[in-house]
Amino acid sequence: MKNIFILLFHDFAFAIKSKSIYLVFFIPLFVFASEYLLDQSKTEPEKLKIAVVTTESGSSPIFQMLQEAGKKVEIIVAKNEAEGRQLISDHSVQAVVLGTNPPSKQLSLIVLRRDSVETLATLQLFSALQRIHEKNNPSWISEIKSLREGGLRSLTLTTWILMLVLLVGFIILPAQVAEEKEKKLILALLQTPINEKQWLISKILFGILLSLASIILLMFLSRFNPKNALASFAFLALGSYCFSAAGIFLGLLCRHQASARTLGFIFYLPLLLPSALSDFSKKLTVIAPFLPSYQFFSPLHDLFFAETSLTAMIFPMTYLMVLGSVLLGFSYLLMQKRWLMNA
Amino acid sequence: MQLAVRSISKVYGPEKGLFPVSFDVKVGEVVAIVGHNGAGKSTLLKMLSNWIQPDYGDITINGLNLKNRQAVVKIIGFVPEVPNLFDFFSVGYNLKLFALLFGAPLSRVDQILEEFNLLSFKKAKVRTLSKGLRQRVSIGRSLIADPAFLLLDEPTSGLDVDMTREVYRMMIQMHKVGRTILFTTHRPEEIKNLATRILAFSKGVLMFDGTPADYFQTPLYKNSSPQL
Repeated sequence: MKNIFILLFHDFAFAIKSKSIYLVFFIPLFVFASEYLLDQSKTEPEKLKIAVVTTESGSSPIFQMLQEAGKKVEIIVAKNEAEGRQLISDHSVQAVVLGTNPPSKQLSLIVLRRDSVETLATLQLFSALQRIHEKNNPSWISEIKSLREGGLRSLTLTTWILMLVLLVGFIILPAQVAEEKEKKLILALLQTPINEKQWLISKILFGILLSLASIILLMFLSRFNPKNALASFAFLALGSYCFSAAGIFLGLLCRHQASARTLGFIFYLPLLLPSALSDFSKKLTVIAPFLPSYQFFSPLHDLFFAETSLTAMIFPMTYLMVLGSVLLGFSYLLMQKRWLMNA
Repeated sequence: MQLAVRSISKVYGPEKGLFPVSFDVKVGEVVAIVGHNGAGKSTLLKMLSNWIQPDYGDITINGLNLKNRQAVVKIIGFVPEVPNLFDFFSVGYNLKLFALLFGAPLSRVDQILEEFNLLSFKKAKVRTLSKGLRQRVSIGRSLIADPAFLLLDEPTSGLDVDMTREVYRMMIQMHKVGRTILFTTHRPEEIKNLATRILAFSKGVLMFDGTPADYFQTPLYKNSSPQL
């Protein structure tokens, strides 16, 4: 046990000296900075800013309603359509209202993106104003409930966590293991009372602790507290175990650090993107469940935002545990083939 | 303490590797393992140090089989041809790590550094050292657990004259304190100055086992390359 801890401390020292540890801690800081900037642009605006092109506005009742809805909307006057388009491009307004010539009861709307949150909010505003003007009954839809709660920060948190766990598993660990193998440092360590199992345990612990440390930093900076912290961290540790085992196996397969980095990257993106984008594509939703990363990503999302308990995640937990253990077993067999280490 | 090698072999291909070989090494001997490139010298040394495992045969030290790694790990120290040190770290860290893993007292680190004139390099990063200094650190590290047997794979390969002399001095010093040394070499002066016994290999076969004086009279030496 003592030797495992010595090796574990040594692994952290090695990661600091080789500067690979900075990569892991840079990502939470980068995410924090990006999210801070995103918050400034208000993805869910409380007060809409709408530009009105004056030459075309005429005396439409819609413009009058807009003027009267002062609490909900801020009107900015644009001289022409080109200026209105520029205001949208600069994120100064969310939409530009164009009249028709001659004036009619219908207007055109220019938005940055048809499917954005801002466009949805603008349409909701116009719908409400129209109902008030026409003295209609309340809207047919009284409330909108979404499966994925929270803003952009919450929705992307699991993606960032998956990115961190895969980064440790497929970029940092394979490179570190391959470097130890390339420089025959593993053989040097195996000249001491350290055995293969102890070396593997220390590397797995290193992978899990490094992943968890970076995830805790990310959660702290994002001000996110999982409601079921114990279950969340147990599941995070299990996922880190699986992908760290994969990283060690990859590292032992490679002769050189450079080839380990390349091989790691080949696995990294195909594991990251389909899982992270599975919510946005029907095809990816079909493909992603076959990937081990999805068996980590999807239950984690449910654990964080749908408050699912661990007992409802028996399959993904068993899947990750079995896959990690099988890969660790293969790593042990590779280490026993000393000629491979010596090649 | 006696090293017994019994019919060990490691075959990589026709005429490549080491074919069954047996010999004993007694305590206090300094054995030079010689031969052309590819003769099987390094393969033998790597098998003795457990870096690679023989296809057949056994190696024992005082009856303890080398396969029982935990039992023999403190008895054999191995210095590879290219020092495998942690480059990012200091000389002191490299020695301290191995002292901790071996359970040796940390005072042993300073003792080794002093013994090999490395005290002034204690805080120097290994990657900043010359090859000769790295080799000295590597030899020092192999002695952390105070092993009875020391295996050196071409310890002076690529070193300049001064560093080569320094390594010779260290080997003589280690022999004086009773360590058994096995080393591979291509240099006749190393054999003359250091070895008490020669094992000469050719194409993986042990061709000669005797004293340096006898070896220099054999056709094996006379027909060898100008360097040997």
